[in-house]
Amino acid sequence: MTDELLRRVRGLLDRAYHELPDPAARQVLAAALRRLDEPLRVAIAGKLKAGKSTLLNAMVGEELAPTDAGECTRIVTWYRDGPSYQVLLHLVDGPPEQRPFDRVSGAVRVDLGRPVDEVAQLTVEVPSRRLREHTLIDTPGIASLSTEVSLRTQMFLAADEERVAEADAVVYLLRHMHGSDLRFLESFHGDELARGSPVNAVGVLSRADEIGDCRLDAMEVAARVADRYQSDERLRRLCPIVVPVAGLLGAAGATLREDEFQALATIAGSPLDDVLELLLTADRFVGPASAVPVDGPVRRRLLARLGLFGVRLSVQLIREGTVRDAGDLVRELSARSGLDRLREVLAAQFLGRARVLKARSALAALDTVVRSRRTDAGTAGLIAEAEEIRAGFHEFVEVGLLHLLRSGRLPGRPDQLAEMDRLLGGAGAAAADRLGLAADAVSGRLAAAAEAALARWQRVAEHPLSARELRTAARATVRSCEGILAGLPRSGPDPATR
Amino acid sequence: MTAVARPPGEAAPQGPGRGVAVLRALDDLDRVRVLAAASDRPDLAARLVQARFRLLSEDVPVAVVGEFKQGKSTLINALLRTDVCPVDSDIVTAVPTIVRYGVPPSVVAHPEPGDDVTEPTRIEVPFDRLRDYVTEAGDTGVRLRSVEVRLDRLLLRRGLSFIDTPGVGGLDSAQGNLTLGALPLARAALFVTDAGAELTAPELAFLTRTVERCPRVVCVVTKTDLHAEWRRIVELNRGHLARAGLSLSVVPVSSFLRLRASARGSASLNTESGFPRLLDLLRRDILAGAEATTVRATRQEITFAVTELRRQIGAERAVARHPEQEPVLVERLAEQTRRGQHLAERAASWQTALNDGTQDLGSDVDHDLRERLRGLLRRGEELLDKEDPKDNWRDFEAWAGKEAAAVAVDNLFTLVSRTEQLARDVADRFDLEYEGLDLDLPAPAAALAKVGVLDIRFERSSMRQFLGAFTAARLAYGGMFMAGAFGSLLGLTVAAPIGVAVGMTLGRKLVRDERERQLAYRRQQAKQELRRYVDEVGFVLGKDCRDAIRRTQRFLRDEFAARAALAERSSAQALTAVRQTATLPDDERARRADRLEEQWRDLGRVAERIEAV
Repeated sequence: MTDELLRRVRGLLDRAYHELPDPAARQVLAAALRRLDEPLRVAIAGKLKAGKSTLLNAMVGEELAPTDAGECTRIVTWYRDGPSYQVLLHLVDGPPEQRPFDRVSGAVRVDLGRPVDEVAQLTVEVPSRRLREHTLIDTPGIASLSTEVSLRTQMFLAADEERVAEADAVVYLLRHMHGSDLRFLESFHGDELARGSPVNAVGVLSRADEIGDCRLDAMEVAARVADRYQSDERLRRLCPIVVPVAGLLGAAGATLREDEFQALATIAGSPLDDVLELLLTADRFVGPASAVPVDGPVRRRLLARLGLFGVRLSVQLIREGTVRDAGDLVRELSARSGLDRLREVLAAQFLGRARVLKARSALAALDTVVRSRRTDAGTAGLIAEAEEIRAGFHEFVEVGLLHLLRSGRLPGRPDQLAEMDRLLGGAGAAAADRLGLAADAVSGRLAAAAEAALARWQRVAEHPLSARELRTAARATVRSCEGILAGLPRSGPDPATR
Repeated sequence: MTAVARPPGEAAPQGPGRGVAVLRALDDLDRVRVLAAASDRPDLAARLVQARFRLLSEDVPVAVVGEFKQGKSTLINALLRTDVCPVDSDIVTAVPTIVRYGVPPSVVAHPEPGDDVTEPTRIEVPFDRLRDYVTEAGDTGVRLRSVEVRLDRLLLRRGLSFIDTPGVGGLDSAQGNLTLGALPLARAALFVTDAGAELTAPELAFLTRTVERCPRVVCVVTKTDLHAEWRRIVELNRGHLARAGLSLSVVPVSSFLRLRASARGSASLNTESGFPRLLDLLRRDILAGAEATTVRATRQEITFAVTELRRQIGAERAVARHPEQEPVLVERLAEQTRRGQHLAERAASWQTALNDGTQDLGSDVDHDLRERLRGLLRRGEELLDKEDPKDNWRDFEAWAGKEAAAVAVDNLFTLVSRTEQLARDVADRFDLEYEGLDLDLPAPAAALAKVGVLDIRFERSSMRQFLGAFTAARLAYGGMFMAGAFGSLLGLTVAAPIGVAVGMTLGRKLVRDERERQLAYRRQQAKQELRRYVDEVGFVLGKDCRDAIRRTQRFLRDEFAARAALAERSSAQALTAVRQTATLPDDERARRADRLEEQWRDLGRVAERIEAV
């Protein structure tokens, strides 16, 4: 069914390409067509120093994006899968050109060969399995003191009448912030996050390891904070899910080397007093002299890679015997970094819906082309078909409804709406996710649950006292239930009868 | 130093380490007070006692400001080596907390003034429950304006106090505006940012506005224990500040190390924490700076008293030495008394300036407020026209609250600067007339020329200078914090979705028309609600402004009227004294002349010391 969706969209764009004479329009359409075949584009955005590049490295599992204590990323940089390592420089005006680069302890440092403001963006191609699933886009920090830098990100993320958003989905990084109620979103709006919509944005509480002063309970505190953010009604409208992630931990977990583990083990094996003294402050840890037999430069690197929390946690894990070798530590660090959870959420929120999100972007491109010209018979036909696709494919309807639902625009009881969110695929497109059952539930149970849900929503849809919007939504939910049943191995009610 | 009895009922100079300038000012003050008492001027003496009290009880509030979770409360705890400010990894400070000197230690909560007059205006809080009152998680059911903590700490003894503010979420937030609004009350501010990241654009913008409102600002970089790269961050921040044209001290500190140092009594840890430098800045820069201002005001007060005493003693001294000049002096003094009387009358030009100025001030500030509120209303209506109030009502509420706070703060700023202008104008007018009270006295006899050295020309400080001690902000604000003064935009019941019956019977087009009608209706409702809110804000602020102006007028009137009365009294007293002294037998008059000469010399010495500064 989804392939059918993409086929229809592609066909429509093709038709538009041939029917519209304007070269500018053709260029947009050609780009949109190419994009349909590419992996989903996920942008990573947030305030400066929120840990965007670190998170990117953690997600790719390779140290690619340069990171630094000061503001670092100044150019929108695409990281995509490719046959070999290469860097393409896209100029503000002029054709893209290939640039030489070198890798400083993994990070790709590009020789721009020209002032930063002449560069529109960089593309770094990397052979990577992870990047095959989705292209990642690192953006400069919002609220940066160099306004130029912030502006780039805003320009990039913004979609308007003339431009299609370049990213299909956004991971928005928040550092630990607060506000009883209003203050919170006010500052949020200060960040101009109004870009994402609740169906294609996920919030990440970043640098979670630093919450609570790098004490060992940091991640638990971070989880509490994220929960609170998630229950904030207005934040939920911007990104319905907030995952706490310690990017450094995740990156280290992905790339920890044996010698690093050995150094940590040496530290952990030293007398307790020496260890405590060493771990007291970051300065002490990187200080030249220490009773612990690990060289200063090695310690400095460890701290840069793991952060104070990461080092404290690793030492603790090794000391108490939870971790015995580098492999154990890697597993523990990734598990505690929150990265696995983020991957799951991304899979459910973005990848499961990748085709719909891509189709959405493609249709949006068509819209901009059509909107900019007079309506005539030709464009009217295109508009009509785009409408037909939007209304005809149930996945589109689901995404649209999720959007409505999460913006708080549907009347209904909270428990009702939560169930609807799930059934519409809000927590993942798989049948078990939709029904709120364990992934390994037997199909009999799934079918029973789906049938029960179907009956329940049928009643809502037909109940004369339901609000009109709710009834429309309920009808769509019924269709989703039918879809679940149709997809189960043992067939439920015949979908043809609906 | 002359042994001077301390006036009863007054605090002893507190603690060690009062600045030399303060001690000198106290010494001068006491000398002049004794002279005033000896010259039968209890009125002047009483004024000096008040000045003495003000000098000693001077409060130097230091506001601690910055974004959420930068470690503001921890910083105060570390400064005072205490754990009184609640600290949590998750929960934040929601109510401004003032920590100042007091024995025994106590906590008092000040509730938001409500409609119910029977509500208590202060609540005693046990120390262990402080957390419930000041953090956002606390649920005490009482809306608080501020919480005051009194502690016995050396640092606080000299009058320093710290205000722990709720973190501002971005420069534009309502809380940010309210914090800015309260800043003119503080004598200094510590801007707190952590070593995890360099300054952001909103932070720097907030910092710039802080510097505009607060005379002394220090940028404190916290949590240096957690970030190995803190030196880089400090350097980067210095660069950002320099580029923004702000010359502030940047002090990196680790509250964690300071508290650990205090728990273990370790001096080296304390040094490592970076706090000694911050404390030094607080003592030397902030406290000494604030003290200098207060001392200057005290000196002006002494100068005024010296001028008055010289007028009185000078006339009597002249007649004691040259009794034959009595008729001339009497004539001149009679004229002076007449002028002095005029100065105290309602028709005096400073009084006119004050009355006219107050009226102008009132209408200008009111106009300013109206203008700003109209702007707010217009922008709000534009926003409402763009979107459906049903979707963004809560965001809109937040926006309106934030804008209202901005209006309030800007309007107060106008009020404060205009009030200061008025005070200066009145002072100038007063000066002109006060000037006219000066009297040419006969030159001292040749025999006494040797003391002429002390008879230096004494620059009378103008009234304008006295205003250095006058802080319009304190008068204007009345209270301590104006947090959340104007209710909120509630009450909007969003029109219900189209009813069931309608939905069943109407056709598609009708439904669409009905939707549009409902949207228009919602917009209209929302606009009405906005207008009501703006009205209410205008009402509250308008009343605050009028009260502030009335307080200012009363203050200036009382202040200058008191001075006029003192001047009048000096002239009258001089007149009586001149008449009496002229009729004294020769030997007695000679003794009197000697005593007067001594007093004159005393005054001269004080004057000289003050001049020398």
